[in-house]
Amino acid sequence: MIDGSDMNRRPRPSRRDALRVASSGFGLLALAGMARGARAPLALQDSRGPHLQPRAKRVIFLCMSGAPSHVDTFDHKPELVARNGATLSGVRRGAKLLASPFEFKPRGKSGLMISELFPKLGAHADDMCLLRGMHTDVPVHAQATTMMHTGSFQFVRPSMGAWTLYGLGSENRDLPGFVTINPPTGGGGAQNYGSAFLPATHQGLRIGLARSGRNQRGANAPVDDIANPRQGKELQRKQLDLVKKLNEERAKRSADADEIEAVIESYELAFRMQSELPELLDLSREKKETLEMYGVGQGETDRFGRQCLIARHLAEAGVRFIEVGIGGWDHHRNLREELTQSCRSIDQPIAALLKDLKDRRLLEETLVIWGGEFGRTPYAQGTDGRDHNHLGFTTWMAGGGVKGGLSYGGTDENGIEAVSGRMSIHDWHATILHLMGVDHERLTYPYAGRDFRLTDVHGEVATDILS
Amino acid sequence: MERSRTQPPTSASRAVPLALAACAALAALGTPAAAQRADDERSAEEIFSFMKRRMDKNFDGLISESEWTRSARAFRRADVDRDGVISLSDVEASRAKRRGDARRRGTPAPEPKPATPPAELDAETVEFFESNVRPVLATHCYSCHSESASRIKGGLRVDSLEHLLKGGLGGPALVPGDPEASSLIEVVRYEDPMFAMPPKEKLPDDAIRDLERWVRMGAPWPAEAESPATEGEVVDTASGSEAYGTIDLAEGRQFWSFQPIETQNVPEVERDEWALGDVDRFLLAGMEEAGVAPAKDADDETWLRRVTFDLTGLPPRPSEVADFLEDRSDERYEHVVDRLLASSAYAERFGRHWLDVARYAESSGKASNVVYPHAWRYRDWVIDAFGDDMPFDQFVMKQIAGDLLPADSEEERASNQIATGYLAVGPKSHQARDPRQFRLDLVDEQVDAISQGMLGLTLSCARCHDHKFDPIPTEDYYAFAGILMSTETLYGTQRAAGNNHASGLIDVSGAASLPAGPNMDEATRRFFGRALDRVRPSEPAMDEMNPEEMTPEEMRRKRQQERRRQQQGGLIESLLSRFDDRGRATDANRVAMGVREAEAIDLAVLDRGEIDRPRGVALRGVPQVLEPEPFDIVSGSGRLELAQWIASGDNPLTARVWVNRVWHHMFGVGLVATPDNFGQGGKRPTHPELLDHLAASFVQDGWSTKALVRELALSRAYRLSSKASSRARRADPENATYARMRERRLEAEAVRDAMLVVSGTLEAERPVGSPTNALEGRLQREEVTRYMTRERPVRSVYMPALRGYVTDAMEAFDAPDAAFVTGAREATTSATQALYMMNDSDVLRLSDAFAERLLELDVKEAQRIEAAFVIAFGREPEGGEARAVRSFLKDYERSYEGARPEAEGDKKERRRRNRRRGRLLDPTNEPGVHANGRRAAWSAFAQSLFQSAEFRAIS
Repeated sequence: MIDGSDMNRRPRPSRRDALRVASSGFGLLALAGMARGARAPLALQDSRGPHLQPRAKRVIFLCMSGAPSHVDTFDHKPELVARNGATLSGVRRGAKLLASPFEFKPRGKSGLMISELFPKLGAHADDMCLLRGMHTDVPVHAQATTMMHTGSFQFVRPSMGAWTLYGLGSENRDLPGFVTINPPTGGGGAQNYGSAFLPATHQGLRIGLARSGRNQRGANAPVDDIANPRQGKELQRKQLDLVKKLNEERAKRSADADEIEAVIESYELAFRMQSELPELLDLSREKKETLEMYGVGQGETDRFGRQCLIARHLAEAGVRFIEVGIGGWDHHRNLREELTQSCRSIDQPIAALLKDLKDRRLLEETLVIWGGEFGRTPYAQGTDGRDHNHLGFTTWMAGGGVKGGLSYGGTDENGIEAVSGRMSIHDWHATILHLMGVDHERLTYPYAGRDFRLTDVHGEVATDILS
Repeated sequence: MERSRTQPPTSASRAVPLALAACAALAALGTPAAAQRADDERSAEEIFSFMKRRMDKNFDGLISESEWTRSARAFRRADVDRDGVISLSDVEASRAKRRGDARRRGTPAPEPKPATPPAELDAETVEFFESNVRPVLATHCYSCHSESASRIKGGLRVDSLEHLLKGGLGGPALVPGDPEASSLIEVVRYEDPMFAMPPKEKLPDDAIRDLERWVRMGAPWPAEAESPATEGEVVDTASGSEAYGTIDLAEGRQFWSFQPIETQNVPEVERDEWALGDVDRFLLAGMEEAGVAPAKDADDETWLRRVTFDLTGLPPRPSEVADFLEDRSDERYEHVVDRLLASSAYAERFGRHWLDVARYAESSGKASNVVYPHAWRYRDWVIDAFGDDMPFDQFVMKQIAGDLLPADSEEERASNQIATGYLAVGPKSHQARDPRQFRLDLVDEQVDAISQGMLGLTLSCARCHDHKFDPIPTEDYYAFAGILMSTETLYGTQRAAGNNHASGLIDVSGAASLPAGPNMDEATRRFFGRALDRVRPSEPAMDEMNPEEMTPEEMRRKRQQERRRQQQGGLIESLLSRFDDRGRATDANRVAMGVREAEAIDLAVLDRGEIDRPRGVALRGVPQVLEPEPFDIVSGSGRLELAQWIASGDNPLTARVWVNRVWHHMFGVGLVATPDNFGQGGKRPTHPELLDHLAASFVQDGWSTKALVRELALSRAYRLSSKASSRARRADPENATYARMRERRLEAEAVRDAMLVVSGTLEAERPVGSPTNALEGRLQREEVTRYMTRERPVRSVYMPALRGYVTDAMEAFDAPDAAFVTGAREATTSATQALYMMNDSDVLRLSDAFAERLLELDVKEAQRIEAAFVIAFGREPEGGEARAVRSFLKDYERSYEGARPEAEGDKKERRRRNRRRGRLLDPTNEPGVHANGRRAAWSAFAQSLFQSAEFRAIS
């Protein structure tokens, strides 16, 4: 680890310089940094982590696209029940408060108030740290989704998965260090797992894009063309060596060696992935009890259950950042029925994931994060719906380095705006990086004449939630 | 707002009585029980909403006289049981259906409408309101029409401005500024005894005058004093950051993209000899200002590869490379560019660019994904338009209003109608239940496509609330949407499971020169023949059951099954009816998607985009920030006028947006880096003067896209090398000055098409129609796999474009799913691409073909290798490349001979895996086994060229 003062004295390497230093064996830059046990090349080490004692080795981010209602799930608002139907004054004049139709109960020893929508997940209350003071910048899905993933809704910036991978490298050189299963398709698309100006090798590997068609491929999380139908490994290696040679020749002549570097790395990674990834995605060898626990093969939990189980496989295999996506949380209407459905599809899978990680002693070193791009209004839209609300909402964390059974922060008594323990997306990012052993102010990348951070010039670590 | 955009329906004063009279009439039609219930307000509400759903064409919550008189069709729809009268049972049947719908409804929801901050009112106004208006309302009206009323009569509350504007069952009660149009005033005047309020006694005359005066003042309603948190009201402690400022149009017009396009003076530059044209002078001026020197010119091979891909989406052929290198004339660059512009490949390339903007696809996407078998006619029209260099203003006009343009021949008429397919090919939720919601969503999608695609404006953002960044009030959205609401979209499709919204198509059989369509092959016909047999005879199990022994549930199921079968059979019959018994497409297949005029209406402004929240009506028009003058509609929907307005040189956006798109495709990034958004949320132009210069001369020179492309392709800037000194790179890391060329990754189509060209397998001719033409109804995975993903060696633009089924190759290289306007694609580099290039059957087969092509050459091995590089990269091997290839070939061949190609066990394992992946493998799709080691080695080498970074890039 390099100390910060030292870092400041040394002139920052440009991305090109860094690559040149790194690629003593061309094409091995990212490899060198990402290989198990290997250290990043010196030139890049000054900004990369870990800067602190890591509390978690990896992240599993359960991304709820569409913005789940906080007041019906994890933000208990007794006042709202008392005021059901009351109209608001002020800027939201005329808006009618809508009590949650769902009952909250204290769960676990900690007695965290969690909605009846999560009967199984609630059993893990003592591992969960509810962040009830979240807020974000805009109440629009696309922008808020990009904001949540990259810290910016205006500019193309690396996603937090890419930053995490850049900061810490991968634990398994045979797998991509950042995998996103069924990522949100709207709202920024590939930006949400993109590497932007970070070397392209930090981009997330997308598995099972959610399709609009009836046959959503996300269900089985397949990867196409994972095996060659006629060429053995040895021959393929020879072929890829030639490709690499050709690419290196081109890189000598080319203006943009970075891009060629990325292509080279993509083949190297793809080649290695062929061995390991199919097994990780293959659920057929799982025990029946495990499949049942995750709800695989059980109607509404099947899809998310598979994804969670694959996420556990990937976590075990050393993937640094795993995102698991599920959409359909945009409950403007039909809240009672559809929110119930949405919750049912994730309750058992997430509970299983937490238990499974715990049983394997992985939870203590894995940071599990749950959340959507914003929350919903405690007042009604129509009679049975809620509108977008970015002023206050809830996400939660569990596992590596967070206090379990804790409720941190909160919204006003109606549940509209975060008033205590306020946590912006930047604060959230800073805290996630901190838990991973990365100082968000020190993890920088030089680009276009300045050093960029995931948190830009913002971000405060919520130290109160650290265990 | 400068000009009053919303107005009440002109017949508002009559609308309420008529509507209520109709309620009474309806009730009278029913049973005595219904008459009793008519007393019940809830029942009245139901009946009225029953009528509204059928007759209220513009969603303003009212039924106007003209809507009433034009409701013969509505009557037939309302008469659910088809007994010629509307009875209570019809109303109930409809209600039951609607309840069912509400439960099933899952349509995407609108965004929130921000609360409008209360206007600041002067003390005098507040005083007037508090002493002369509120007390009258409170004393005489609140007991039935306020929050505190035990039961709110007629759904109307008069205790807030919002509620008055929203109104009750009879629609808005108040039109600020217009007492004559406000039903509140009408009723207190006691003009019509049937609709007089308060019911017991007329208000004193001065109270009525005060109310009139108050409405004339614009109905000012003091904000805070109005309603101190009374009982049941909760003080909102949250801050007001949700609220957005009001829109100032005058200020909004100052924004750069809304300003008129100015003819620019070409700047003076120091190194004028460097510039080949004015584009270069503008760019050079920027470079000189930034102190960046332009890079050297690219070498000939690099430029040729660049321009050939940019203009045609294909690599240069070896003969073309040789021709260019040999051409030493002064016009050698012009020769190339003109040759490329004249090729059909140019039309296919730029046609594909536009199809991205037009979110073109051959199925509806969304949950039920219904096929549009005739969408390809629009695709071909677009490609032909680019081939003919149709002036861009006409190109735009025809797509919006081709059906309304004069035509000299049946051919031209058909062509113009096909152009309007632009409006019909968007994604749609055919499974949606509510036809009104479906209409609104359809129109919304059209608004989005037109505004983003042609104007770079995100008008759809203003559907539920005023635009949050741009000066576009919600009224403008509904004004624009009204034009499309007055238009009927003909997208075809039949009613069936998963499709509640069918429509007709346009008959273009009068145009004999149009292809009838692709023939249906024998296998496909047999497939559908069998399918028809399966659905036609009813399943015996059910039939044999005695209806009397069946439970109601069984009866219901049986009926449903029967209906399904009929629908399915209908679909297949309709499909087969488009082909004769030898599988040839008939005149019945000469149909096109498109639009035609419908009854002209002005659409209600819907609060929060919600169908049941009308507030006033928006006169059809265009965004006021762009058009301060009232929008003049001569006749009909206004679509022709809209088309003319967009396709005008005076429109500040149209030409700018299009030249920027062309620039984006030529230089890799637009002068405005967000080609679909020229608003506040988009990027500012890096070279505003150049953009205006290009736009102004584009319009002046007759909107010729080819001329524009030619100018850019022949510019010095386009000729530059992508290499630059490290100093230049440091000075301008983003290449904002265009002092060098940008290295770019090719689009998915170009990567695939290049493999076809290089392997010598491309069928360059346009295929007739699309395989999708042989489908009907919802896309089922089996059909998709069977017909669509089968590789055809045609250009990618002619491959089926089905939403939700982007093929592996296309998806890996970031082809969009046509869900939205996509002016700028992503260009990722990923392991997924690598896996595709390494293992995909299609790639392997093309590698075999390329190797075959090379092995057929009667040359020495060294020349064969050279030929491979020239064919794939348009250049000879350099540095250590040839040597590396030679040793690879030797080594690979030896190892291949030494190893068994694939053990039987591996093959089984592979099949098992493939099956598990859920991918139905067509056995003919499998690449063959190599005859010998030499062929295997050459195929592997050929593939390695496909795999290389150079193959997928232009520098």
